[in-house]
Amino acid sequence: MKVINQLAVVDAEKCRGCKTCERVCPVLAIKMENRKAVVDNERCRGCANCEQRCPDYAIKMVKLEQPVLVKVDVSAVDYALVEDLCRKAKFNPEQLICYCTATRAEEVAAAILQGARSPEEISFLTGVRTGCKVECIQPILRLLEAAGIKPEPPKGGWQWYGRTVTVWEIPEEVKKKYASRGFYFDEDIKILDRVANAPVQERSDS
Amino acid sequence: MRPPITPLAPRPSQYGIDPSLVKTRASDLPGMTSVMLRELFPDLPEVIFPCEEGVAAIRKATEESLENVDMSMIKPEHSVNILAAHHGFTLLGGEPYAEMLKTIKDVIEARTGCKSIRLRAGVGLRFRETEEYIKRYGLDQHFNGKAIGVAPVDQGIAIETEVGTLYGIKKIYDADWVVHAHNSDVREVHFHRQVDRAVKPFGMAYARIETRSTYHQNLGPRAANFTARAIFDSPFVQSKFAFASFLTVAPNGIINVDADNDLYALNDRITQSGLRYYGKIMTLFGEIDECIAVLDFPCPVVYVFAAGVIYANFAGANTDLYDLDTALPAYTWYTEAFYGKRGKPLLDEIPRVNPAIKMCVHNYAWTGYPSAFFSEHIPTVVVGQEQADHFNMDPQNLTYMKHAMVAEDLKAAMEFAYKVTGTNKAVIFDGAMGGINVSKPLAEFLLKKAPEVSKRVDEELLPKWLRQRGVIL
Repeated sequence: MKVINQLAVVDAEKCRGCKTCERVCPVLAIKMENRKAVVDNERCRGCANCEQRCPDYAIKMVKLEQPVLVKVDVSAVDYALVEDLCRKAKFNPEQLICYCTATRAEEVAAAILQGARSPEEISFLTGVRTGCKVECIQPILRLLEAAGIKPEPPKGGWQWYGRTVTVWEIPEEVKKKYASRGFYFDEDIKILDRVANAPVQERSDS
Repeated sequence: MRPPITPLAPRPSQYGIDPSLVKTRASDLPGMTSVMLRELFPDLPEVIFPCEEGVAAIRKATEESLENVDMSMIKPEHSVNILAAHHGFTLLGGEPYAEMLKTIKDVIEARTGCKSIRLRAGVGLRFRETEEYIKRYGLDQHFNGKAIGVAPVDQGIAIETEVGTLYGIKKIYDADWVVHAHNSDVREVHFHRQVDRAVKPFGMAYARIETRSTYHQNLGPRAANFTARAIFDSPFVQSKFAFASFLTVAPNGIINVDADNDLYALNDRITQSGLRYYGKIMTLFGEIDECIAVLDFPCPVVYVFAAGVIYANFAGANTDLYDLDTALPAYTWYTEAFYGKRGKPLLDEIPRVNPAIKMCVHNYAWTGYPSAFFSEHIPTVVVGQEQADHFNMDPQNLTYMKHAMVAEDLKAAMEFAYKVTGTNKAVIFDGAMGGINVSKPLAEFLLKKAPEVSKRVDEELLPKWLRQRGVIL
C-alpha cells in the first residue's frame, strides 16, 4: 500500500535520451519516444528512481495536487490461499516486506493470487519497491516463485536480475566452514521459521 | 562542567532542509554540557584526528600505512578503481576520509606509474549522496574528472559465489584492480553485529539491490553479513582485489590508518578495536534509565550519532547488540519486519524499542532512509513545518510524520519534552567530536556509571564477544 504524492516530470530540453530512467523504473512507467523520456503519469508511483539516476538532471519530482492511494484488497482473496502462499515462501503473512511503504507479505501474495505475474506488476499494484527501491526485491521474487511463477527481468533493463540464496539453502559445508566466525545460520533459520509460522494478529478477512 | 562541544554545521543537501532553517542547535540550549569520552573511559586510544595538524595527519598516516602494502600487481598500463562509500564522509566532518582517498590515489600513482585511477563511491539509500561529497571535497578535480557516485540500481554484474549468484554494481568492478577504501567506525551494529565489518561494503555499498535484499530479507539477522563475505571471496572479486585502506576509528576520533593486502587480517584488528572501544560506550548507553534523545546532525534519522553510537543503536541499546546469542536487536530491519498489524511483535521474545528513550526531539536530520518505525514506537517531535513537509515528500518516509508532532522551534520542543516525560536527562546526537553533548544530570549519570561498565566490558563481555567471532586477542 502506498500513497502516491508526487510524479516524475521530464525536462525534454535537458533529456539526451540515454534510457537510464527507463532502465531503472520499477513499474515500467517511462519509455523513450523520439529519443526523449516520456512518463506515463497513470503508471508512475513517485519513487524518484529516475530523478535520482538521471545523469543530466532532466527529471524533477512534482507534488500531486491530489495524492493517490494504491493498494491491493487482501480481503478479496481467500485468506487461506494468501496464508499458504506466504508460508510457502517462508514469510508470515503479516511480515513487512517493504519498510518504506509498510507493505506486508499478505498484500503481495494477494496481488499474485489476483493475477500479478512480475515484480513490475506487483510494484504497480501495491507500491512495494517504490520507496527505497532496494531492499524488497527478494521477497517479491520468493513469493512469485512460491506461486510457481518464474518472471523474466525486463529486457535491457536494470530493474532486477534474479532471485538469490536464502538461509535455508546455504550448503552444509559452507555453514560448517564459517561456523566459528560468527555466522549463525542454523540459529537464524530457527527464528525465521518461528516468525513465518507464528499466528497472524489480525486476519484481513475477519 | 565543561561547555558543550560545537557540532558540525548543517549541510546543504537535497536530503535535508535548507541549513538556514536550522535556527538553533541543541547544544546551545541552556543546561547543556559536554563530557569528553576519555573522561568516561580513560583507556580510549590517543587519536591522530581531530588535531592541530588537521588532515595533514591523515595524509601522513595513510602514506606510512601504505608503505607496508604490496602494489606490485598494478602495472602502469592498468586501471584501478578506488572504492569508497558514503559513510566515511559523515565522520569528523568528512575531510579525513576524503584526504585518505586522495592520498591513496597519489601513492598508487607514484609507486606504480599507473595513471588510470578512478574513484567509485557507493551509497546507502540516497543515490546522489556521494555525488554531493565528490563535489564538496574536490574529489572530482583530484581524480581528474574520474570520480563518480554509483547506486545499487545502476547496471549490475553477476558474481558467482559459493552460495550461488549474487550481484555487484558493474562500475565498481570495471577496472583491472579494486582498492577497498573504508573505515572501522561501527555504525550499523544492528545489521552487521561486528561480524566481518571490514567486508560489509562488498555486500552493501558496492552491491546491487538483489544482494542488499539478500542481506536484509533472505539470510537472517546474524547470517546476513555472509552476503559480503561470499562476494568478496568469489574468484571474480579476488582476481581484482589489490588491497584495503581503512581509517581506524574510535568513538573519540581517528586512531590511525590501517592498510593491508589481507582484508581478513585487517578485519580481525578492527573487530577487536570495534568491540573494545565502541563496546564500552554502547554498553554505557544501555545503562541510561531515562532520557530525551535530540537529533541534530546532517544525516538520516537512524545515523545521527553521539559518541560514535548512532540513534538506531541507541533505540536498541536495551539489548546487547554485540552478543550473538541474542538473535534480534530491538531495532534492525528483521525486527521491524516482525511487527504484526496490531503494532506488536509476532513473537513475544522479540525485544521492544529501548524504553529509556522517553521522547525524541528531531531538530535536524535527513530523509533518505525509512524511519517511520522510530516515530511509530518513540514519541517524536519534529522541529519546524518545513522539515515535516520535507519528510512527507520522501518516498521512504511517507508515514514518518503520521506518528510525529511538529513544534515551532527547538526551545518549544524541548520544553514540551521535559514537561511531558518528567526526565531532565537529554542526549544530543550531533556528532560532537571527542565527546558527547548532554544535559548536566545525564553527564553526572554517565560519569558515575562508566567505571563499572568499563570493568564489565573488559572482564566479562569483551572475551565473550571475541570468542563468538572466532577472534583471538
